[in-house]
Amino acid sequence: MQQRRQLDEKQINRELLNGNLATPKWYYPVMGVLGVGVLIGFATILYMFNRGLGVTGLARPVYWGLFITTFVFWVGISHAGIMISAILRLTQAEWRRPVTRAAELLTVFSLLTALFFPLMHAGRPWRIAYWLIPYDWARGIWPNVRSPLFWDPIAIGTYLTGSTLFLFVALIPDLAILRDRTTGIKKTIYSMLALGWRGNPRQWQLQVVAGILLSALMLPIFVSVHSIVSWDFAVTPAVEGWHSTIFAPYFVIGAVHSGVSAVVTMMCLMRWLWKWNNYIRPEHFDALARLLIIVATAWLAFTFLELIFSLYGRDAPEIALRELQIFTWPWNLIFITFLLTGYVIPVGCWLFKSCRNNIAIMFWTSILVNVGMWLERFLIIVPGLARKQVFVYTWEGYWPSPVEWVILVWSFAWVSFLMLLFARFFPLVPLFEAKESQVFTTEMKVGRATVPMVIRE
Amino acid sequence: MSKISMLGLYDNPDSAADALDALSEAGFDSNNFDVLTGTPYPEGAFGEHVPQHRLFRFPLFGAIVGLTLSVFLTSTTQIVYPLVTGGKPILSIFAMLVIMYEMTMLSAVITTVIGILFESRLPNISMNVYDTRITEGLIGVSLVCTSDKKETAERAFNGSGAMEIKSSGR
Amino acid sequence: MIEVPVTNNTEKFNSATNSLVPTTKESLSGKFKLIFGIFGVLSVIGIISLILKITTVGFETKSGWGYYAAIVSLLLGVFGTAPMVAIAPTIAKADWHRPVSRIATMFTLAGISTSILAIPLIFALPPLVVDGIRRRSIWFDANIYTPHVFFGIAVIGLFFIGLALLWVTSIPDLSIMRDHSSGWRQRLGKSLSRGFIGTERQWISLRARIGMMGTFYFMFLIFVHIIYSICFSLELVAGWKDAIYPMYHAATGIQSGVATVIIGLFLFRKYWNLEDHIGIDQFWALSKLMFATTIFWFYFFICAFMIFWYGKSAINEMTIAILVNGPYMPIFIGTLLLSFIVPWWIIIWNPVRYSPAMLSVVAAIVLIGSILDRIRLYVISWQVYSDEMIHKRYIPLDEIPENMIAPNLLDIGIFIGFISLGIFAILLTTRLIPVVSIWERHQSILLTRHIKFHRTEVYAVGKPD
Repeated sequence: MQQRRQLDEKQINRELLNGNLATPKWYYPVMGVLGVGVLIGFATILYMFNRGLGVTGLARPVYWGLFITTFVFWVGISHAGIMISAILRLTQAEWRRPVTRAAELLTVFSLLTALFFPLMHAGRPWRIAYWLIPYDWARGIWPNVRSPLFWDPIAIGTYLTGSTLFLFVALIPDLAILRDRTTGIKKTIYSMLALGWRGNPRQWQLQVVAGILLSALMLPIFVSVHSIVSWDFAVTPAVEGWHSTIFAPYFVIGAVHSGVSAVVTMMCLMRWLWKWNNYIRPEHFDALARLLIIVATAWLAFTFLELIFSLYGRDAPEIALRELQIFTWPWNLIFITFLLTGYVIPVGCWLFKSCRNNIAIMFWTSILVNVGMWLERFLIIVPGLARKQVFVYTWEGYWPSPVEWVILVWSFAWVSFLMLLFARFFPLVPLFEAKESQVFTTEMKVGRATVPMVIRE
Repeated sequence: MSKISMLGLYDNPDSAADALDALSEAGFDSNNFDVLTGTPYPEGAFGEHVPQHRLFRFPLFGAIVGLTLSVFLTSTTQIVYPLVTGGKPILSIFAMLVIMYEMTMLSAVITTVIGILFESRLPNISMNVYDTRITEGLIGVSLVCTSDKKETAERAFNGSGAMEIKSSGR
Repeated sequence: MIEVPVTNNTEKFNSATNSLVPTTKESLSGKFKLIFGIFGVLSVIGIISLILKITTVGFETKSGWGYYAAIVSLLLGVFGTAPMVAIAPTIAKADWHRPVSRIATMFTLAGISTSILAIPLIFALPPLVVDGIRRRSIWFDANIYTPHVFFGIAVIGLFFIGLALLWVTSIPDLSIMRDHSSGWRQRLGKSLSRGFIGTERQWISLRARIGMMGTFYFMFLIFVHIIYSICFSLELVAGWKDAIYPMYHAATGIQSGVATVIIGLFLFRKYWNLEDHIGIDQFWALSKLMFATTIFWFYFFICAFMIFWYGKSAINEMTIAILVNGPYMPIFIGTLLLSFIVPWWIIIWNPVRYSPAMLSVVAAIVLIGSILDRIRLYVISWQVYSDEMIHKRYIPLDEIPENMIAPNLLDIGIFIGFISLGIFAILLTTRLIPVVSIWERHQSILLTRHIKFHRTEVYAVGKPD
């Protein structure tokens, strides 16, 4: 609020559409590199389909490995959108405005990417239809709704559909701006997408009400999605370390931690690449970092409770699992790295205002968080399975094969590629929100001080 | 009498508000004129008629439809394929709850979005007369009237300080 | 950008001071004296019931302490978490909390009830080593009286930090009492305001202290909820392993705390005619909090329940029998209805959220739900405890009692008496400190404006930081 500048609508249009009405110099080289990464990734996936899952590191007893870890990771990242867009909208946090679109977009693309992983993990993805869609009239075999694995696609499908519609509804006024600034075929396409938006009071009123109503509807979906993902693991009493009642909120809060951090990473890139310094300001990073301190600390408390209660039962297999997870090489290195990168280093930095306002530090700490959060999922999933068979003593380890690593890297390239592709045609910062912010904020004089004010209806 | 669409362009909100007053005074029905802005303003900022909507009915309707469908889907798939898994009852209410919840919410979201478009009167195929500078900060006051009222309308627009007046027949 | 006219607020400031200071001076006659007397008598009954409980039941009969433990847990929520309604929005820099924060913070004083009740319960808690064998505990191999000591320190610490929080947030108002009253109020105001005259340095220091005390209070509160819920119920049931339970306990505690603040706000507003200071906005904001915490009740419950229901192991089935479909099933159904379904269904309607009276009815329903919830959790925990059973891996289904224990007169006496004691303590404080913080009211006047926005009027809120 303090760093806000008075901007007119022309300037907002010019600055925020700088990547849509013209192509930045860096755009094609970056897209080229990402495109090559995406192609290599798809080729690897096809190779894996051709050869079978034997090319991965998966083997008895660890059948859930890097793919499922990455699936949970991307579902986690997808929690950024609604956390920022819905919760901050409902709490009327003024600083949310420049971030909402990017966060919603990250939700959509990370969910899309997450969906790839269980499909790939199935080895023969086309057979998934048998347990997913109630279509097999001839054999009388129907999907088993009692399976949490069936709940997953339903929940993610709901979240993806809802997020996409949410994104589209909030995009309509900006599409109208693009319609008014373009010519030819582009204008025709934007005109069709803008649905004839004129900006009358009725349309604006509905736009505002829609934001609140959709936020309220998306919020319970947002909580349910990662809860359901967590139940893939938690309802299984056979795997030590999984059968815990805290898993659902623990996954959700972890997802918010990683998702909001990913938004911070994106904001840094947006500020650097498109020079949107007037819109994405240090005060936004400061607010997000303060939010992240609370989220991260709550997440750490859940981690602590989860750990305490795993030992509380005094069951030998569970204690052995925790020994493996925390004290045995190489898991101990992963565990320490996870704690340092997921909490200690970033939160340690964010405690200081100078760090919260430093874009480069925010960029690197937000990346660290997501390194930690990926490792957290790996630590939850793999060691439990490695020691699953208590009596047969097949306590094999697991390490991802190069094929899996390539596919992991592909997922990052893929999400970045999609984001940049979107950014070429649609504005990443909602223009109407930036303009609304200009209308709905003012200043007052209190003595010699100037205090920013927010207008509420 | 043919209908025409007119648009007065203003560079400040007070003039646009004056235009609405002038159009009212000139006898035009408030349903026939509208303010067009590139940014949302607080309701009533132009002294305009605050529109009523029924958006809240849409998610309720959607939720009922989604819930009904999900009850049907989850119960019938379990009944027609009565396979006991994990010692659970054939009709496992708690497992069904998850699907019912998701489908209810999905349906509510979809109908809400339909409701938003419907209540916003979108898609709006006939754009009437429009100016692209509205999304650059100018405020438009649009009017639909019969061609014989054109001069009255122009007087109202000019009297309130319009920068420019555009009109088109249809 | 719309112009905000510079206004002179002196008149408004004086009006706020002159209408709020007299609320502390209302003569102790008539209705107020009667209310004071009733709560005083009930408090005495509560204290007598407590003494009788300790002397007649004894610490060895664990099942006799179930309702007592439930009352302590309830008070930790109702009185202990109410101040969070002041602390959380302050941290989030929300502007609606200013007229609410004093009432919410005053509930720290009612913590006297929780502290007095919690201390005897510590003696009823079994040590970590029972019959020479160490029982399952989150304290693992610590000294056998570790939970007793830590809980004792935590609950007393919470009370004193609460007092400190109330004092710190009241300093400017105490200085107003020093300047605008006479007699003992003036003397006490002078002594407690510690020379506060409103220098810039004093305001900066005050804000820092409020932030620190609020954070400390929150951390202590969560710590107390975690220890209490685990040590005084979960650990007493062999085999009950539920990592979300402490958070469920804290979240449902916050739900009852919000409900308490709503009822308190409604009553003070109505009977002291504070409509000018406590607006509908405050109830509207609190209704959203109430809605969120009501949803949290169900979310945390279902997260645990699904795991037990799906796991289907003997331990899981035992846990469901203890918590849901065992002897306390009617209480559970009551909780489900009154803590979730009924308040949720009422509060989703917009008109309810704008109506202080309706919202207070919802809050009362939630409080009844909270009472039932605590009974369902605590009474059975103390009922199934025995020195032999605690070492078993889990309690076999056929050893879970068939019938619930009913509360006796002493339990009811303690319940009513100690709630009354808390209210009595708050009423006593209202004689010195106004129920609406005068300095925060001044801040509201300073930072909020109704301004003309072209053809309409809008509400503008200053955000100085």
